[in-house]
Amino acid sequence: MMSTTLRLAARNATRRRSRTLLTAGMVVFGVAMLLVAMSWIRGVADQMRERSAAVGGHVRVVTKGYAAREDLAPLYENIADVEALGAVLRRQSGVVAVEPRITTGVTVTVGEEIGDVFAQVVGASEVYFRERMGAKDELVAGHWFTGAADEVIAGEKVVEQTGAKPGDELVLLGMTQDGTLSPIKAKLVGVVSAGDGGLGQQLLIPLPRVQYLADLEGGATELLVYAADHEDAPALARQLKALPALEGYDVQAWEDREPWKTLSASIRGMEAVVVLVFVVLAALGIWNTMMMSVLERTHEIGVLRAMGLSRRGTVGLFVGEALAIAIGGGLLGVALGAYPSWLLETKGVYIGSEGVAAGFSQTMRGDLSWSSVLLVFGLGLLMALLGSLIPAIRAANIQPVSAMRSGR
Amino acid sequence: MKRSMLVLTSLCAALGSAPVFAADPAWPSATELMKRMDQNLTAQTRKMRLVMTVEGRRTRTFEMVSYGRGEEDAAMEYLAPAREKGTRMLKLGNELWIYMPAVDRLQKISGHMLREGMMGSDVSYEDLLSSRELLSRYQASITGEDTVDGRPCWKLELKAKDDSVTYAKRVSCVDKETFIPLKQDLYAVSGMLLKTWTMSDVKSFDGGRQYPTKMTVRDHVKKDSITKIEFKELEFGIDTPKEIFSLRWLERR
Repeated sequence: MMSTTLRLAARNATRRRSRTLLTAGMVVFGVAMLLVAMSWIRGVADQMRERSAAVGGHVRVVTKGYAAREDLAPLYENIADVEALGAVLRRQSGVVAVEPRITTGVTVTVGEEIGDVFAQVVGASEVYFRERMGAKDELVAGHWFTGAADEVIAGEKVVEQTGAKPGDELVLLGMTQDGTLSPIKAKLVGVVSAGDGGLGQQLLIPLPRVQYLADLEGGATELLVYAADHEDAPALARQLKALPALEGYDVQAWEDREPWKTLSASIRGMEAVVVLVFVVLAALGIWNTMMMSVLERTHEIGVLRAMGLSRRGTVGLFVGEALAIAIGGGLLGVALGAYPSWLLETKGVYIGSEGVAAGFSQTMRGDLSWSSVLLVFGLGLLMALLGSLIPAIRAANIQPVSAMRSGR
Repeated sequence: MKRSMLVLTSLCAALGSAPVFAADPAWPSATELMKRMDQNLTAQTRKMRLVMTVEGRRTRTFEMVSYGRGEEDAAMEYLAPAREKGTRMLKLGNELWIYMPAVDRLQKISGHMLREGMMGSDVSYEDLLSSRELLSRYQASITGEDTVDGRPCWKLELKAKDDSVTYAKRVSCVDKETFIPLKQDLYAVSGMLLKTWTMSDVKSFDGGRQYPTKMTVRDHVKKDSITKIEFKELEFGIDTPKEIFSLRWLERR
């Protein structure tokens, strides 16, 4: 009986070609759009996730006071001896690197009069700037660090605002951890493009120089700990929190810190809304065409019911028909959606540096993965199931005698 | 009688028209007290060598030499520590220039920045570099008697005549003998207690001037911080070379 029902469902799908094409079109459109949207959202989210974890550390160790006043980046809330604590962290299994970092604000001057151009100084190792921030890839003028103590690499916006050029001497006026005015000189050796996460307004300076600026010899405000993969961060954070040496410190995985914590929930919410919109729209379209089919075939349904087709069989007949269309439509939809998704992944969309918030890249890319393809194909079947269920139940409730009398 | 006069004085003060008269015939007038305080604490010209110790998360000690002229002009040079040595400040009116020898640059500070803690201390640039008279800026009333460190003093409440004055209200305990405010609570317009300033180790100088050689300042906005100032040398009414109060002096090598 089951095979008969499926055969009938398949035959019905080919009987009314225009209606079948309309239903399939809904599925094709829904699946293709969903695949593009999912690839885009997931790709951008992955890119942000990876970058956020790399720049901010897979796990970050700061004092509790620093964590509480993070927006102000207070220099007085510091880890006095980063070498000692860093050595403890490097000995832990799963830890591949530890990077001390200081972030503070300065005014930048080129020439005689101290100006009012504000910049954010990032004091860290050359390895951190190159491997974690990816700043070397963004170099647009001058050269990379040579190892001299007084070198600085500036973001494009700082250079634009001050009129500085590689080779110039910059005067940076900041504060020590005690709140005393603290000036240093630095030689501008390179300029990095304004993209990637606010780099444009930053000054990259080797850690020892920033330690002097902040009067924080041997110290730093943050210790960034890296695992082999940023996905290992939550487990590593749990492991480090148990260390006696880190008692009294704030230890957090990148995904538990702001802005990612809020951003992550927003991305999940956005993904859910997109899925819901496409599934509901496609399901409504399928419901519409299937309902027309039920109304047109009332007489036929009555005959089938009189011949012994059960209510469940009737439901199966219509749902099976919708699923058969959805399988074909879903495959076509995946094929149609895969190309733009692939283009988004390989070429990306250049959004430039203006308005790029922390964590974004200048080129945003999608991510076409098998999991997205399977998920979207499954959602295509769900669209068909949801869209056909009500018409199928309606068909199952048709009384054979009155249906045959209707003559339709 | 004394109580009723006190009540009347307080009431008038609360109504913003505090009369400057004593609550007891034996008491000096508030105006007289302010005059004596001004005579002690302000000078047309002055030179000081002072050691300032800021105790907070870390203890830091600075040694400076300072020259003053009138109410608003002052010049200061840091002698220690090594990191700050050679740093000079020049305040002319409401503008302040800081010369930083490490980078051979001048930084100008004005407006509300003058009220920020100097070198991360509890004392603002304005607190240390200005020498403003109280009499022309405040209305005062004596509200009672007290003792500070065993020394009898008058409790004096001063209210600023206009909003431009940094501390809208001061509650002082003025030494009955030396007329030095041994303890002052300094308030903002909002009524918030900003600073507590104590003065001690008062010494006599020429012309009958009394001046404290030690001060402590606690900024209540900052947490766990206190600044102690000790004057090692004090000279008043001296001839200060004019070039000191110039940008040229600031940048001299």
